[in-house]
Amino acid sequence: MQLHLGGHFNWYDPQKRAWLAIPLAAPVSLRTLLEQLHVPPAEVAILTVNGRLARLEGAVVSDGDRVEVYPAIGGG
Amino acid sequence: MGYGSTGKLLRVDLTRGAISIEEFDEAFYRLYPGGKALAAYLLLRETAPGVDPLGPDNVLALINGLITGAPISTATRFTAAARSPLTTAYGESEAGGFWGPELKLAGWEGMVITGRAERPVYIAIKDDQVEIRDARHLWGQEPAPVQAAIREELGDRLTRVLQTGIGGENRVRYAALINDLRHFNGRSGMGAVMGSKNLKAIAVRGAGKYSDLAHDPQAVAELGRRIAKRVKEHPQSWDLQEKGTPGLVSGLNAGGILPTRNFHAGAFEGVDKIKWEAYEKELLSARRSCYACAIRCKREVKVDDRYQVSDVYGGPEYETIGGFGPNCGIDDLQAIAKANELCGRYTLDSISTGAVVAFAMECFEHGLITPAQTGGAAWRFGDAAAMLQIVDWIAHRQGIGDLLAEGTRRAAEVIGGDARYFAMHVKGQELPMHEPRGKVGVGLGYAINEGGADHLVAFHDPTYANPNSLTFKAAAELGVADPLPPRELSPRKAEAYARLENWSSFGKVIGFCYFGPAPRSLIQVGEVVEAVRAASGWDFDKDELLRIGERATNLARVFNAREGLSRKDDRLPDRLFEPLESGALQGIGMSREEFETAMTALYRAKGWDPATARPTPERLAALGIGWAADLLT
Repeated sequence: MQLHLGGHFNWYDPQKRAWLAIPLAAPVSLRTLLEQLHVPPAEVAILTVNGRLARLEGAVVSDGDRVEVYPAIGGG
Repeated sequence: MGYGSTGKLLRVDLTRGAISIEEFDEAFYRLYPGGKALAAYLLLRETAPGVDPLGPDNVLALINGLITGAPISTATRFTAAARSPLTTAYGESEAGGFWGPELKLAGWEGMVITGRAERPVYIAIKDDQVEIRDARHLWGQEPAPVQAAIREELGDRLTRVLQTGIGGENRVRYAALINDLRHFNGRSGMGAVMGSKNLKAIAVRGAGKYSDLAHDPQAVAELGRRIAKRVKEHPQSWDLQEKGTPGLVSGLNAGGILPTRNFHAGAFEGVDKIKWEAYEKELLSARRSCYACAIRCKREVKVDDRYQVSDVYGGPEYETIGGFGPNCGIDDLQAIAKANELCGRYTLDSISTGAVVAFAMECFEHGLITPAQTGGAAWRFGDAAAMLQIVDWIAHRQGIGDLLAEGTRRAAEVIGGDARYFAMHVKGQELPMHEPRGKVGVGLGYAINEGGADHLVAFHDPTYANPNSLTFKAAAELGVADPLPPRELSPRKAEAYARLENWSSFGKVIGFCYFGPAPRSLIQVGEVVEAVRAASGWDFDKDELLRIGERATNLARVFNAREGLSRKDDRLPDRLFEPLESGALQGIGMSREEFETAMTALYRAKGWDPATARPTPERLAALGIGWAADLLT
């Protein structure tokens, strides 16, 4: 799967990557995956799976999915 | 031992060419500790009701905050305020950069400028030496040569120059002030006010030290060092340093809240061409900072490709990318950077200018502006050449640009028909690039803000939606009891908004930028209290800071009430009550009934009369400004 760590979420990746390619042998809970990557699920404000808005609760992702997560966004 | 203020205002009457000093005491400053509070106080006290915004009797107040100039990241801001030529209401805009801190270190808490010079002038300040100088040779010139000429004339290459340009000279109603060629007081038309006074620029150089003003300079410096060290360890400030505000584009698009084609849609098909990754590759030349700020969120750009964009006027922020990009249907990042450069060269507010371009394009597509008025060009959404032509015509008031320079509200009244429906403004000020249909509290802020639509008047809804998030913890500390979904438009959302608005207003009083303190939270709520105490020596807690913010908002509201504004002016454009045409929130609009109910709750939460939208005498008295009630009788 392709995972986009949007906004400040790529700070949590040691290499500060905005996009991660993650091979998945089987579907996994997105929350668990984020926890493994040390991205705090509590901060997720916007989540899309294959371009559609989704909720983190119960979200399961599979190989081939394109997932984007973003934190809360304030003024710019 | 000081209390964080110089205790002095510099008064300049341009009609008489008179310069004077006004001193105030600590008790006064405790009530109005700078920025928005002091500016609103001065406007209420010193302008007559109905004053012509572009006449000599309007007052232009340039006011630092208590913390402005402290060696603490984001303590950089000053307020420019006057009766706005764009809204005819209370007008205000904050800017960072270096000019405000330099003015403070020259010994001045702020400036109060009145009158109109007979011919173009500029003001030169070097500590307590103040001089009004001839600027006839600078009139009509762009900011870069003006700044260079002033520095040459004063023999000081480090003097900080605040100025307006061709937009202000031509009294474009949303003309800006610019300092150091890249920091803007963009909103409310303060550049037009300065231009109307025949005042081209204010150059300032100060030899003072903030440590001589602060109550406990060591504590201020220690706090500043502690915060600066943490910038790279804090995800949000790291993100601002890395990407700046352009980093917002893709997230807003994913959430369906990226205003597109004059707020028709919430997602833009060309987003990949304008998001941060493209910006970094196509535009970025350097990163820069404001005074004493370790975040360094400012982008510099340079382009020599499809367009030539110089690196003189700074790079486009998110608002500018959104306004000239998706909201005009344009996916050419270089063209957007060019439009941003034009806004710098002409000193135009890039938010209002982008919104006016989108308005003009929609009018053209509906036949309300014709090729006969555009020089034969097709001003359609997506046409970058049209966008640049419109900006140029606005600045020079050429052709129909003369009408567009009046802003969308006035232009729509003249054009007639559906143009009123295409004018995306509140109180005459154009909407920033944040979509209220996806974050309704931002809509409450647009509606109620005294200066018209503004995105920096409170926390944005997603920051207090998630109970375990860092940003919600800040909101909870400020009195928001429960996390609230971003699209919940309810009385409890209104009550939360009111609390958080007081905090943001306090930031505008005190001189903090939106990007340091909570909700961004590089600087925690408790540390803001610590900063105020160290700077002033006052035993204030966070509730007192919220009261300072509330006091400032109430003063601005009294100003508006005195000018005849009422609840009917706290409205949103009709389009926001209709469904978004595309994006993650396709089909979703705001409910009018929910909006009106929430607004009633918001007035009550503020202690205002819901029928008139005016502060009650009791509320004003409780805030220590009972005198202001007399202005409402």
